[in-house]
Amino acid sequence: MARIKGYPEALETKLRDRYMYGEDAHPEFTDTVEKISMTIPHMCYQCGTCTASCPSAPRSSYRIRKFVRRALLGLETEALTDPDLWLCTTCYSCTDRCPRDIAPTDVIMAMRNLAFKRDIIPVNFLKTVQAIYTTGHGVPNNDVNRAARVKLGMDADPPTTHTYKEFIPGIQKILDYYKLKANADRIVKEREG
Amino acid sequence: MAERKTKKETASTKGTTAAVKKQAPAKAAIGEQPEAKKEARVGVFICHCGTNIAGSMDITAVQDYAKTIPNVAYVDNYKYMCSMPGQAVINKAIADNKLTGVVVAACSPRLHEPTFRTATKEGGLNPFRFEMANIREQNSWVHMHDQEGATEKAKDAIRIAVAKATLLEDLFPKSVPVEKAAMVVGAGIAGMQAALDLANAGIKTYLIEKTPTIGGRMSQLDKTFPTLDCSQCILTPKMVDVGRSENIELMTYSEVESVEGYIGNFDVTIRKKARGVLSMEEGEAMGIVGGGCNGCGDCEAVCPVVLPNTFEEGMKPRKAIYIQHPQVVPLLYTIDFESCIKCDLCVKICGEKKAIDLNQKDEFVKVKVGTAILATGYDMFPVENKTEWGYKRFENVITSLEFERLICASGPTGGHMVRPSDGVAPKRVAFLLCAGSRDNTGNGKPYCSRFCCMYSLKHAHQLIEKMPGVQPYIFYMDIRSFGKMYEEFYYRIQDEGAKFIRGRVSNILEDPVSKNLMVFADDTLLDRPMKLEVDLVVLAAAVQPAADTNRTRKLFGVSCSMDGWLLEAHPKLNPCGTTTAGVFLAGVCQGPKDIPDTVASAEGAASAASIPIHVGHVELEPYFAQCIDEKCAGCGMCVNLCPYSALALVEKDGRKVMQVTEAKCKGCGTCGGFCPGGAIWMNHFATPQIIAQIDAFLLGGEQ
Amino acid sequence: MEAKHKYAFYLGCIAPNRYPGSEAAAIKTSRKLGIELVPLKGASCCPAPGAFGSIDLNVWYAMAARNLVLAEQMKIDIALLCNGCYKSIWEVNHKLKHNDELRDGVNEVLKTIDMEYKGSINVFHLAELLYDKNIVGVDKVRDSVTNPLTGARIAVHYGCHLIKPRKDREFGATEILDTEAPTWMEELVGALGATPVEYRQKMQCCGAGGGVRGYDIVHALDIANEKLINLQEVGVDALTDICPFCQLQFDRGQIEIEEKFGVKYNLPVLHYCELLGLAQGMSPQDLALDLHAISCEPFLQKVL
Repeated sequence: MARIKGYPEALETKLRDRYMYGEDAHPEFTDTVEKISMTIPHMCYQCGTCTASCPSAPRSSYRIRKFVRRALLGLETEALTDPDLWLCTTCYSCTDRCPRDIAPTDVIMAMRNLAFKRDIIPVNFLKTVQAIYTTGHGVPNNDVNRAARVKLGMDADPPTTHTYKEFIPGIQKILDYYKLKANADRIVKEREG
Repeated sequence: MAERKTKKETASTKGTTAAVKKQAPAKAAIGEQPEAKKEARVGVFICHCGTNIAGSMDITAVQDYAKTIPNVAYVDNYKYMCSMPGQAVINKAIADNKLTGVVVAACSPRLHEPTFRTATKEGGLNPFRFEMANIREQNSWVHMHDQEGATEKAKDAIRIAVAKATLLEDLFPKSVPVEKAAMVVGAGIAGMQAALDLANAGIKTYLIEKTPTIGGRMSQLDKTFPTLDCSQCILTPKMVDVGRSENIELMTYSEVESVEGYIGNFDVTIRKKARGVLSMEEGEAMGIVGGGCNGCGDCEAVCPVVLPNTFEEGMKPRKAIYIQHPQVVPLLYTIDFESCIKCDLCVKICGEKKAIDLNQKDEFVKVKVGTAILATGYDMFPVENKTEWGYKRFENVITSLEFERLICASGPTGGHMVRPSDGVAPKRVAFLLCAGSRDNTGNGKPYCSRFCCMYSLKHAHQLIEKMPGVQPYIFYMDIRSFGKMYEEFYYRIQDEGAKFIRGRVSNILEDPVSKNLMVFADDTLLDRPMKLEVDLVVLAAAVQPAADTNRTRKLFGVSCSMDGWLLEAHPKLNPCGTTTAGVFLAGVCQGPKDIPDTVASAEGAASAASIPIHVGHVELEPYFAQCIDEKCAGCGMCVNLCPYSALALVEKDGRKVMQVTEAKCKGCGTCGGFCPGGAIWMNHFATPQIIAQIDAFLLGGEQ
Repeated sequence: MEAKHKYAFYLGCIAPNRYPGSEAAAIKTSRKLGIELVPLKGASCCPAPGAFGSIDLNVWYAMAARNLVLAEQMKIDIALLCNGCYKSIWEVNHKLKHNDELRDGVNEVLKTIDMEYKGSINVFHLAELLYDKNIVGVDKVRDSVTNPLTGARIAVHYGCHLIKPRKDREFGATEILDTEAPTWMEELVGALGATPVEYRQKMQCCGAGGGVRGYDIVHALDIANEKLINLQEVGVDALTDICPFCQLQFDRGQIEIEEKFGVKYNLPVLHYCELLGLAQGMSPQDLALDLHAISCEPFLQKVL
């Protein structure tokens, strides 16, 4: 673990111990990521094919290769607290090209799942959850669209949970089974008051 | 056990296939072992193998148990039974205790059966009175954390081995003469070197090559790393030597059609494909004075059919009647009958030489050899399958082999390195290493192709040397420069100005107008994605076994590993041998090798293949089947079952019985297990011996 | 033409709730090609693979499985028109069919709402049904055209989740599945009489997926903008896609790009179903093209 030097705060940050220590690696993190992702980041040989394929890499500090490395080494906190974790567009180009047959995209998804367990999650993800809990849709209908649908000769609402609202309680049961709505509400409230 | 009467002397088969010479008098009676049965005295020797075995089981408990097994007259243990002092324990015990059988409980018989057989023989017993109990590979190594279980399993294994040792008989290996000729399949550098070595050792060698010329892949190369001598300069003299050697019978445009027999006596049928052209020798033989092909090339000039020249990787045309390049050996034209339109123009221009025969048919030639070497080489992995790099989609993405031809003075551009789209000399060239190698996706090869790093370094050097101002970029994951003077070569090329980028290229895009290429990679050392515009991309494509390797290996009974490369007998201690006695491997067919390693492996294979020929005879394990004539009903069903064609029905004393050609029999037991009348006796794996082992296992200690 | 093939039409969110013309076009054009699309009553969001997959994959499996069970109860296969929905509905179906542990976990949840996933149906994207010779095929698509889009230069955005990751997908033969330089969509565009146009980085993602559009809009727009620049370079009359989320990113995204980056493209973006509708004689009104953020007028003038 990084040494705490006991300096004044500004210097403690500036001169922060940057060594990687053996104890920083948590093999159980590697195992958990592999179980959730159903892929094999421990087989990565760091060729960079993933990062070179990544549409987010050339416009940010996001390096999917580094996340796979963190998965391999078990650097849990470093992986889960890095805001770049949320810049993967899930295009799967890296997965298509990885010569070691790893699915880096799914490694990212697994890490995001684990981050959520620590309440690390951008709120926009949670708002989708809230929308679906209420309407069954992530992008619900609106009045402009209802009018347009009628003009097209269709029902104002599509034959989904918008029309058949009796299905919504079932959806809510599923989300409640995982306490997803409660957690979403809590985290959104903490962030936005 | 049933009593058996004396078996009549095994009549030697017609004398052609196997002139079996018996070194020792044949046993009087099959399976009859009066003394052994009456008073079997078995010695059991338990090996610790350091801690390999002793660390996982209670040796003392095993030893104490062994003493209680019926017929066991002596038990001992030692730290390394295979060592000199270990073997001395066995020698001494045999004499002191008048042992009739020896059991060593140690490793796999694959490893030390020969060792302990020798020890048994040294002690004065017939070596086949030895039986091994495997308590390492099949016990201690797999039950490392189960001391109790491992100990009990070792007791079982020893009890079973003792049961067999009690019934073992004296057996005597058969000796068969070895034909003083060898065959080499494939005439690339590996096959040529092997053939030359064999020929120089005074052995008649048939060198079979499927293409019209010898030389193989090496003849396509320009310069060779790390010495930079030109491939042709060092190869063509060898090609000429092969052509001239009195002991080499060169058969180009020929393929092995079938193989029969066994070490010392392989009967090989060769298909000489119709090449439509007679050599001068053939012309002479047909009485055409001054006739046959003299390589003048007049035919090629008039031939109207144009095809891509595969030697030039399709970058140069050839005709339907062709030689691949001017240095071919033999200098003899070949007609590609799949494309020939039989217009007769070549026949007319050839005139009085009468070298061309448009109606020629394939011929079959039979030869007999003592040993054979496979040197079937490699093909390039079809790297267009990795669609992200755009090979065959983008004109200026080429393979390394195409690069070799383009930079070679005798190549399609006369050695002017230009890019295919516009014939302009490139200024920026990207080399992609591991193009299809070290790839576990299923679309690619999991192994390292082993020579791509080095030839790509060489390519970079050639560009820098030939075209000042050109910038080579080498995209690599690891540079594997492991050979003699290789790392120094890497140092040199970096010093000359090649730029090394540690990152695998993810994909390539082509500018539709300029046909320049945009190469995408992650510079993993800089930690930044990179987009590099270059004029030419060279893919160091993976290699894979040559197209018909699989067919050829099956003819010779050779196995291959998962990746298709031919399987050596032992990866370290017998890399040129195979599990088929008398068949050896040379060069890349066994796995990717650069030229130095290929030549070394070829010389190794030639040396190994010459040993049985020089000795003049080989000893065959006496594990063959024998027919108990009295029980044989002559039904002949076993004859067709035999995978080695070792059985035949013969007339004896006025009735039909089965007869085994001992040298052909591999002792597989197919016939013995099948025979409805129980008339087939499998030496060393006889029914009573195996039943005794099963009983020993099932009845536990209470037999 | 009598419908030979019947599917439960899984709508998703964006098509019915933002681009209803795509939904109308899908139903109408399919009927002409022998496909009957019947409503999948009570379907919900697939759910959004980026958002739900990131939060908790188990919820994603269960929610998608609920939609699958609705079709299982109707005993017909699902057809859909969105790559994102395909990722959820097709992939969860595939995973649950091949992974007993996952399926048992999902069924434990579904039991609380009296449902059980059985794995008895298949899922298809309309685009693959259109391309598949055994269902429709390019020739039949061409034959159905009454108003060829002659003269229109149209570029294709394949999107990601219908064809990637390649090794998990089963759509058609290998050359179709090639994710580096596929051309099957171009064939479908050509069948409408239009000229398909190749452009740089054709296979790049639209930038919206994985929750990035919501998390970091300028990042997502910068990815879309790179494609728009490449499209402008070759000059096209329209961009077509097979994913309403990609469509939203490129259509509404152009307004946002103008706001944030100050560049304007005015490139009409149409779902392939909308293009097919036009080519089969549907009017812009039938397709509610006026709902598009970027006006389709210049393109319509060229093809009508």
